[in-house]
Amino acid sequence: MAKETLPVDDELIPRLLAQDEAAYGQVVTAYHGLMLHLARAIVGDAIADEVVQESWLAVIRALPRFERRSSLKTWILRIVGNTAKSRLRHESRSISLDESMGHEPAIDPARFRGDGHWASPSALWHADTPEELLSSGELRAVIDAALRDLPPLQRAVIALRDMQGMEMETICKVLEVSESNGRVLLHRARSHIQAAIEEYHTL
Amino acid sequence: MSFMPSCRDISEHSSDYLDKNLPFGKRMRMRLHLFMCVNCRRYLQHMRLTIATLARFHDPEPADPATVNTIVQKLRQAAPKPTHPH
Repeated sequence: MAKETLPVDDELIPRLLAQDEAAYGQVVTAYHGLMLHLARAIVGDAIADEVVQESWLAVIRALPRFERRSSLKTWILRIVGNTAKSRLRHESRSISLDESMGHEPAIDPARFRGDGHWASPSALWHADTPEELLSSGELRAVIDAALRDLPPLQRAVIALRDMQGMEMETICKVLEVSESNGRVLLHRARSHIQAAIEEYHTL
Repeated sequence: MSFMPSCRDISEHSSDYLDKNLPFGKRMRMRLHLFMCVNCRRYLQHMRLTIATLARFHDPEPADPATVNTIVQKLRQAAPKPTHPH
């Protein structure tokens, strides 16, 4: 089935407000997968479905008040982000979503000498492409595990940026973090995944 | 970052460097360091490869028609009364 193109917001929003069933189908088809990915990143697989359902209901109820200062997509994803975050705060063992914003360096300081030069530089990975890197199969599990280790907001940023290819500016609006905090979260997340791959290669 | 970045500085700014999010001067100083330092070149190459590999991890998983339909029905029930322009 060819992927339908979603109408522009100006066309789509009035149709959604008029409860046009075809328009509902189009937005759900277009955004459900992305919403689920974001929800999973923040709350985990078990309750992500519930969070997305709850978000859809919030979207449809709030739509008449949507002021269109962002795109519909950004606005919908922000609702998912907020629903997921409040869910997490509710159930959570982790006190803060921002545990990642501390000042400890993203890369293990033990890897550097006092003068800032590498003490233990990276060993060569013997892979130039993702295909070569993932050819062993085991590494996929290593990366999955490393992703699960990340604090929720770091996982959300890396999911939207490096897996979904969204723009940083949009991601920061969705997650309601400043652009500089967003960049710190992204760097920490990438460094953590890279370190996990590194460790796998030196075993 | 002091005038000449150390290897530690390079690693701390590697994401911003790859995302082209550094001011010109900083970028040029990093580039000079990278020109001379094989370990940092490798670190950056590995980060580039890490990012490219992560792009393979997103399951495009399109919502199946049954799921779409279930949600659409819920939305119809939950939607506020349609607004009529007149």
